[in-house]
Amino acid sequence: MDEAKSAVAQETVLKVEHLKKFFPLRKSPFSRAKSFLHAVDDLNFEIKRGEVLGLVGESGCGKTTTGKTLLRLYEPTDGKITFLGKDVTHLKSAQDRKWFHSKSQMIFQDPFESLNPRKTIFDIVSEPMNIQNEGSLKQREERVMEILKRVGISPPDAFLWRYPHELSGGQRQRVAIARALVMNPQFVVADEPTSMLDVSIRTQVMTLMMDLIADMHMTFIYITHDLAVARYMTDHIAVMYLGRMVEYGETEDVIQNPLHPYTKALISAVPIPDPEFKRKSLQIKGGIGKAIDPPKICRFYERCPFATERCGKEEPPLYDVGNGHKVACFLYEKDGK
Amino acid sequence: MSAVLEVKDLKMYYSTKQGMVKAADGISFTVNQGESMGLVGESGCGKTSVSMSIMRLLAENAKIVGGQILFKGQDIVKLKEEEMNKIRWAGIAMIFQAAMNSLNPVYRVGDQIIEAILAHEPDVTFEEARERVAELYKLVGLDPKRMDNYPHEYSGGMKQRAVIAMSLACNPDLIIADEPTTALDVIVQDMILKELSKIQKKLNMSMIYISHDIAVIAEVAEKIAIMYSGKIVELSDAVTIFKKPAHPYTVGLMSSFPSIHGEKKKLVTIPGEPPNLLNAPDHCRFAPRCPFATKECWEKTPPYEEIEPNHYVACFHPQNLRKQVSING
Ligand SMILES: Nc1ncnc2c1ncn2[C@@H]1O[C@H](COP(=O)(O)OP(=O)(O)OP(=O)(O)O)[C@@H](O)[C@H]1O
Ligand SMILES: Nc1ncnc2c1ncn2[C@@H]1O[C@H](COP(=O)(O)OP(=O)(O)OP(=O)(O)O)[C@@H](O)[C@H]1O
Ligand SMILES: [Mg+2]
Ligand SMILES: [Mg+2]
Repeated sequence: MDEAKSAVAQETVLKVEHLKKFFPLRKSPFSRAKSFLHAVDDLNFEIKRGEVLGLVGESGCGKTTTGKTLLRLYEPTDGKITFLGKDVTHLKSAQDRKWFHSKSQMIFQDPFESLNPRKTIFDIVSEPMNIQNEGSLKQREERVMEILKRVGISPPDAFLWRYPHELSGGQRQRVAIARALVMNPQFVVADEPTSMLDVSIRTQVMTLMMDLIADMHMTFIYITHDLAVARYMTDHIAVMYLGRMVEYGETEDVIQNPLHPYTKALISAVPIPDPEFKRKSLQIKGGIGKAIDPPKICRFYERCPFATERCGKEEPPLYDVGNGHKVACFLYEKDGK
Repeated sequence: MSAVLEVKDLKMYYSTKQGMVKAADGISFTVNQGESMGLVGESGCGKTSVSMSIMRLLAENAKIVGGQILFKGQDIVKLKEEEMNKIRWAGIAMIFQAAMNSLNPVYRVGDQIIEAILAHEPDVTFEEARERVAELYKLVGLDPKRMDNYPHEYSGGMKQRAVIAMSLACNPDLIIADEPTTALDVIVQDMILKELSKIQKKLNMSMIYISHDIAVIAEVAEKIAIMYSGKIVELSDAVTIFKKPAHPYTVGLMSSFPSIHGEKKKLVTIPGEPPNLLNAPDHCRFAPRCPFATKECWEKTPPYEEIEPNHYVACFHPQNLRKQVSING
């Protein structure tokens, strides 16, 4: 059984090459853009079947933009996205779009905004099936009941005809998850799916997602700014800083042995739920700005306690220091390839 | 140690069309001089209601229906509004939840703090107040030159620091910080919590930190009160709460929290939904979610008792106090 599982796990579901998403900044809607905000700037990675990749980083670093661009809710500025061996960067025909959107889904950041208040739970959860024209009404109803039960909304028939405001926050978040999973997608981007939840409900939802991912061999991108949550939910972590991937590796490697000065600062700042543990944090300067027409230097240069002159002149590439652990910092030039 | 604040059996209810919301229902705790206490609990359990009662800043439909709030021995529940005005900010100050938005956008930040000082201390001149604000800016790690900027010219972290400076302006004995860092990212949160702790120790002030994040509380509080559905269910020193929690809810809370530190433990879930405070039942409010609940728990509210020195619990089945326990056995 393990052999079968590892054979499946070899398959690359998503491959991202040099992905960029720039937003034009205009004085007025009719003027030509003189500057660009580099929200996502040259991302490269692969995700295998059944794998969960965590995207972490502070507010505004480009996590949501990456997710939306990958799901083709935004048109990429440049780069290539390959999904199940097929180039989905442009999705020119209606048929290709239908195929891609039936296999990929997004769980949006805020369940209070993303669920239409005028629709019943049944309408909300069955919507992806309607769009895809999948099954008869009866089949849809059965499928909705099944997925609601799976996400812990039970008995499902007591909820089918309710509206979102008649549900608690945790129930709403689970409905949003049910909606994303109703078509058995192969690839899901979950954008801070538990950030609005209370501690006890949050653990319920996290456990639920981990079970679903394992049972259905789904490929997941899990967006969060909470590294403790990322530790539990993900196999790999990509740390983003102002549109750039500055570090990538297996989750425990990144958490136990962070390499990039930004990752080090980030991890050392996470509070530890143990009153006897004395944490030492790596202090860094100031807040972050926006990557507007950024110069070709290290984007962390101004805040970095280890910066040298060179960091303000050239941009470090991603060095591979072993076990697939990559870091964009000149400090690792010697260890890396 | 002398008590700065003693809350005794505080009851604060909201009246609504649907019925009474018992947001604080028999709350008791003490905060000594120089001590920092954490108040932890899930969203809606009544944390802000407790602090607004202490500040006597109540919503129109809210009423303190019972109990005492002794500030340096004086019951402030009974004080007239003018008398309370003298205590507010000068005796007890508060950093409000979403404090970043509590600065007035049309006034310079420094002037807003100067205004607060002049309102409480009529003998102080404008120049003296300005001097004091400059000192406070340095204390919280802001450049005094920024006093003349408007709120929109500050980043989120800077606004939060300014609000902390404002809470310190009249040298209060006690500061209540309601989720002071929830909206900030971890790096800024870390800087601000360090700053607050440092200032608190330096000035020997008392603090109440309110949060739903037990990791934050673990780092700043010596003593922790766990709140569930309008009641304190457990209170003790931080180490006891973390290492040998007695109330089943606290036990669940401790093992459902992910950490990046140490071995990766299996997360335990607390089944069921958070309670509804509207028309709360007359039995243990955690019973519907509790793995140890018996008939008794569905019939009566457990008393809040000192089960060992300085360890208070409201539960008919406190968990074994000699060894560490886990809710999944
Ligand atoms: N539609 C848009 N038009 C213009 N700029 C945008 C747009 N969406 C996002 N941005 C900008 O792109 C950058 C990245 O934003 P994004 O929402 O991807 O960040 P994030 O990492 O998801 O942050 P958060 O943790 O706050 O959700 C930000 O500077 C943001 O202001
Ligand atoms: N003015 C009001 N009228 C009626 N009910 C109210 C009012 N203000 C608060 N409540 C209710 O009282 C309860 C306690 O609210 P409170 O704001 O004290 O919670 P909290 O513990 O601070 O939550 P959070 O962590 O979300 O800030 C909640 O159930 C809330 O819905
Ligand atoms: Mg986002
Ligand atoms: Mg509150």
